[in-house]
Amino acid sequence: MKYLIFRDSKRNMESLMKKAPCGYAVDFSPGKENSPDAILVTTDSKNAIYRIEYSSIKKYSDDENIVKKVSKGLKSTIMIDGVKGIDPIPLASFTFKKGASLIKDKFIVGSMETMDGITKESAMENVSDVTVEIMNDALKAGADIPFSLASELATLKKKVSKKEFSEIFQRSIAEFKQREIDPYEAVGIIAAQSIGEPGTQMTMRTFHFAGVREMNVTLGLPRLIEIVDARRVPSTPSMTIYLRHEYEQSREVVEKVMREIENTTLIDVCELETDISEMTVTVKPIPNRLRERLVSGEDIFNVVSDPKTLKGAIVMEREKGNEVTVKPQQESFKNLYKLQEQLKSLTIKGIPGIKRAIARNEKGAWVIYTQGSNFRDIIEKVEEIDATRTYTNDIMEIYNVLGVEAVRNAIYLESERTLSEQGLEVDQRHLMLVADMMTFSGNVRAVGRQGISGKKSSVLARAAFEITTKHLLKAGISGEVDALNGVAENIIVGQPITLGTGSVNLVYKGFGSK
Amino acid sequence: MTEGISKRIYRIQFALLSPEEIRKMSQIKIITADTYDDDGYPIERGLMDLHLGVIEPGLKCATCGGKVDECPGHFGHIELAMPVVHVGFIKEIKTFLDATCKRCGRIKLTEDEKKAYLQRINALNNENSDIDSMSLLVKRITDEASSRTVCPYCDAQQIKVILDKPTTFREEGIKVTPKEIRERLERIPDEDLIFFGMNRTAARPEWMVLTVLPVPPINVRPSITLDTGERSEDDLTHKLVDIIRISQRLRESRDNGSPQLIIEDLWDLLQFHVTTYFDNQTAGIPPARHRSGRALKTLVQRLKGKEGRFRSNLSGKRVNFSARTVISPEPFLSVNEVGVPELAARELTVPMTVNRFNIETAREFVKAGPAPRDQFGRYLPGVNYILRPDGRRIKVTKENADENSKRIDIGWSVERQLAEGDIVLFNRQPSLHRMSMMGHTVRILSGRTFRFNLAVCTPYNADFDGDEMNLHILQKEEARAEARIIMKVQEQMLSPRFGGPIIGGIHDHITAMFLLTHNNPLYSEEETVHMLSFVDVDEMPDHEIINGKKFYRGRDIFSTILPKGFNIKFRSKLCSGAGEKCEYEDRIEDKDVFIKDGKMLTGTIDEASIGPFSGVIIEKIYKKFGPHEGARFVDRMTRLAVGFLSTRGFSTGITDYDIPEEAVKSIAETSRKALEKIGTLIDSYNKGLLEPMPGRSLEETLEMEILGVTGEARDESGKIASAQLGLSNPSVIMARSGARAKMLNISEVAGMVGQQSVRGGRINRGYTQRTLPHFSWGDIGAEARGFVESSYKQGLNPLEYFLHSIGGREGLVDIAVRTSRSGYMQRRLINAFEDLKVDDSRRVADTVGAIIQFKYGEDGIDPTRSDMGKTLDLNYIEFDQKESAEA
Repeated sequence: MKYLIFRDSKRNMESLMKKAPCGYAVDFSPGKENSPDAILVTTDSKNAIYRIEYSSIKKYSDDENIVKKVSKGLKSTIMIDGVKGIDPIPLASFTFKKGASLIKDKFIVGSMETMDGITKESAMENVSDVTVEIMNDALKAGADIPFSLASELATLKKKVSKKEFSEIFQRSIAEFKQREIDPYEAVGIIAAQSIGEPGTQMTMRTFHFAGVREMNVTLGLPRLIEIVDARRVPSTPSMTIYLRHEYEQSREVVEKVMREIENTTLIDVCELETDISEMTVTVKPIPNRLRERLVSGEDIFNVVSDPKTLKGAIVMEREKGNEVTVKPQQESFKNLYKLQEQLKSLTIKGIPGIKRAIARNEKGAWVIYTQGSNFRDIIEKVEEIDATRTYTNDIMEIYNVLGVEAVRNAIYLESERTLSEQGLEVDQRHLMLVADMMTFSGNVRAVGRQGISGKKSSVLARAAFEITTKHLLKAGISGEVDALNGVAENIIVGQPITLGTGSVNLVYKGFGSK
Repeated sequence: MTEGISKRIYRIQFALLSPEEIRKMSQIKIITADTYDDDGYPIERGLMDLHLGVIEPGLKCATCGGKVDECPGHFGHIELAMPVVHVGFIKEIKTFLDATCKRCGRIKLTEDEKKAYLQRINALNNENSDIDSMSLLVKRITDEASSRTVCPYCDAQQIKVILDKPTTFREEGIKVTPKEIRERLERIPDEDLIFFGMNRTAARPEWMVLTVLPVPPINVRPSITLDTGERSEDDLTHKLVDIIRISQRLRESRDNGSPQLIIEDLWDLLQFHVTTYFDNQTAGIPPARHRSGRALKTLVQRLKGKEGRFRSNLSGKRVNFSARTVISPEPFLSVNEVGVPELAARELTVPMTVNRFNIETAREFVKAGPAPRDQFGRYLPGVNYILRPDGRRIKVTKENADENSKRIDIGWSVERQLAEGDIVLFNRQPSLHRMSMMGHTVRILSGRTFRFNLAVCTPYNADFDGDEMNLHILQKEEARAEARIIMKVQEQMLSPRFGGPIIGGIHDHITAMFLLTHNNPLYSEEETVHMLSFVDVDEMPDHEIINGKKFYRGRDIFSTILPKGFNIKFRSKLCSGAGEKCEYEDRIEDKDVFIKDGKMLTGTIDEASIGPFSGVIIEKIYKKFGPHEGARFVDRMTRLAVGFLSTRGFSTGITDYDIPEEAVKSIAETSRKALEKIGTLIDSYNKGLLEPMPGRSLEETLEMEILGVTGEARDESGKIASAQLGLSNPSVIMARSGARAKMLNISEVAGMVGQQSVRGGRINRGYTQRTLPHFSWGDIGAEARGFVESSYKQGLNPLEYFLHSIGGREGLVDIAVRTSRSGYMQRRLINAFEDLKVDDSRRVADTVGAIIQFKYGEDGIDPTRSDMGKTLDLNYIEFDQKESAEA
């Protein structure tokens, strides 16, 4: 009997707990302990507890008691018997090096010390009694005012006389109540209109300079469309990397980090010369680019001559300077071509996906901007960076690494940023609603036929949006029933919709009756 | 008129039609492929049989006996000689064939597996989960069943069925006829259907292979009689003719024992016709065409897409009681009003059901006839038609008006013409937000255009360069009540997008208010009376006596339109428009607007005070005093502006951009220097001395440097030019007050137009290696790449003119692309979010009941009523309380 402890958010855990023990397996070799996939936590005579990443859990099918691999690339698989112990691990603990056993201890302790985040309790400590009092008073008066307003009132209370304050408080409560959203308001349509309407005023220009002059970022309408589409990869992924406070001001550390992360392939710094008669490829480093990319000729030689990286090739010689000649093991034009292609994309150093990194000094602290994004690797592999502040504009990557709640905020932030950059005022409530609608199901759903619209419960609503016939035919064979709850269906049928004034019924008392 | 019984459809069940059901609902079996005989009379048992309904006046339906408007039409049917598959279900048929045993017809799953899967299906059904998870499960089940090569029940070896698109199935190369398919599908037991996601109550798999074809009623496919008397049949009728013909030939060939080859060919042909009858855009087969070569519009085409039934006729409908015409401005109307031309008003009617309370009024209306006027010849509403309780319509004419007024009684209905004060809906497309359709009260005007107050241009995004707008007359009391309480312009003055005003003064309104309050000028009594005669004021503002004459201050005049008890203090945008140093930097008197108890003490009114989007005065008045006062302020403000400008006059012309000789020279000097600088840059680039920026190529670096230089040059010359043009210049007044244009535009006219760009860079396309043939190849100099050193006033030289046009074209293309892209995005957004509403406890939920937010917007505040997004503007409340207490 093996139990597993997972390293993941509580939310995912709970969904997993429900489904376990059937339906899941994990790629795992029991003999090989402390592989990055699974870390042995404790063993007693019967049980061994392993901690594994949620992402390494794959679906399996249990056909005649044989664990069938559904997902590709599972080498050895064990079934999950049960899930035990849910303890979310702080983000900071994700920073670990391969196979480091010290992490095991860290995991068990699971301390929050390494994080900059605020827990609910510590946040509450900062709330003054006055604020709480004001909130309670407001609640008594029938207004559930938000914390921000209460704290503003609290500071005001110190400033003005008691009588004045009570007047202001009374008026505030009255105005607050009057401003509350009306029940049955069609907030969805209002949000959609509020975001869609300024779309016509936005620029189409895909490229624009953001902060850093050297880099391009998609902005305006194309970016907004990209966000609501929930594209897997944005057209210009980019990251903003902050360093830990202790390194923030050091130029050396920044440069080191940049060197560490910037992905340099051979073709970035070298010229390749293919000699067909000799069946060789010569790698010729370009000194300028080497300097620019902070790569030495030695590095190139090391990479090329590493038998693990270049398979089926023989490194011939190292000529004057740093030129290296490589030859395919079996001489054929096909192999030569293959070798050339292989060499082109050979990574010399860096983190895959990070095409370029540029550092900027902002108010005394160094910030790195990158072209290309690899959130997981950056926060896991680079020691010096501050994972709590580091940011990527790749929404789906945030979802994969940090989960739904994080991606909800990312959608909100990115859309807010795109709109305000264009100088368009859109209330944050609309953007929040969009972010919530896209994520409330637990995964990210795009706005459109692939996502929200395609998953509506009503046949008629789906048919009216896109791919009309497919939905109608399918409804026919499965005998679907349209309950006519939504807006589109009722319009099609010719009935009042269920929003706003349509969601209440008026009853006429009749003339003369009491 | 029928009685107003309110019915409600609660649900709609979808299902497939079984052959029996098709026959049962059919009124007649169609056997002849012909439509009409030589006399133009429908042929019996033909496609236009009278049993199918009537479309010609005078004829009666053979089924229900109804006339043209009474008969809803009836179905017929065609018995197909041989079964054919339904194109829409090809994929499903394939799954059925794959996953079931070809001999015993049972799904190829063991009993245990079935049991396990059944559990999961039931669980999913109980969960009421979305359709996707169910179809995923079905996919998994059928995939597993399909992968079995031996039937677990009868041990029959299974042969793989291959779908030869679009409608042919093959087994080891041999064709499986639809007849065989149907037989196999018939063998599938009812209890196995659930594994395919098929609902037994709704469908049977063999129904996906057609043996009977329903013939739609004639109303669905009416024939048109052309002017020449020639009959033209509907596309569907054409297709049905084809089907009957081939079906008959197939039947004959089969019955008289023709060779298999011929039968098969005819069968395929029948399949083709039936396929195209359903969907004429099926991949893999050529679309059936009309004689003229136009592809036929068959069933699927009727439903699909923007012009299809769903989007064009079901989700949106054409309406009566509407009018559309060109719009024009009318400053003397309130924002709540719309001017309707008499011509339209006479046609548009409001129904009035006669009851014991209004019978006298109704009689009076009818008595007045169809075109009454008062003693001054002014419009009065008349009556076009009266409706008897049985729904018969009687036209009211001048002659029969008297008689008709006596005839009407309780239960009749009178269609009264539009009257002043009626509430109507006014709309301009594209309707991008809810303020694109608002309620207005009617004013009947002469002329032929709709007219409204200029402040309402912003929400409709209208101008008067030929724009047309729509007017809808509300027909029911509920609708009128909602329009008055919710949709009226004054209720919609704040935009839900940002919680600020969307209605406010534009152009001349801003200019006028700016001039009226800037430096607080003095106006003689005469001028003041003239201005205030445009506004309904009760008393004159405070005056000063200079040399024995009464003079009035601009701010005091402005104060007359402010409500009593209104306090505000804010900074005007006076300084934000200026260059680096504002001349009003230290003049609080001009910069800061301070209004106390409805009296303006200091400041200058500009866009930030009364404009749409930003106007704080409008916003605060609206929020403190309500919609009525808000609208009243805008009404009076726009009128005062017109009054003011009619005393003073305001215009601008080309001479306003005259600048002294020295300034012209120094601008020329600036441009010369810039050109020189660009020359050196290019020189150093050519010599390879240019240092590339990190991450940029040499060329990109050069371009960026040059762009920087040209930008500087334009700014510099703009500064030189605007230094010569002070606040006495009308154009500068407009730019600085925010009425129209920016200082940049002025510097383009007086100073220098500057660098033209395409895609954010200098213009670099056109001919090979050069933009225009006047330049040498490879010229990357300033002039060759679109640097315009002239000003608009000087005029552009031909080369500059062409390059400027290139830059201008990009803007036009950009707008065209943008509108379509953002339109589609908005459609998707609306579709995805239309079902969301706030429930009783202020949570956001969709119509199915899923909760999206536990508290709308995290504070439960309506963004429309928020203070520009903030929950509450405490600073203003504090300020207002203090000021009110003092007053």
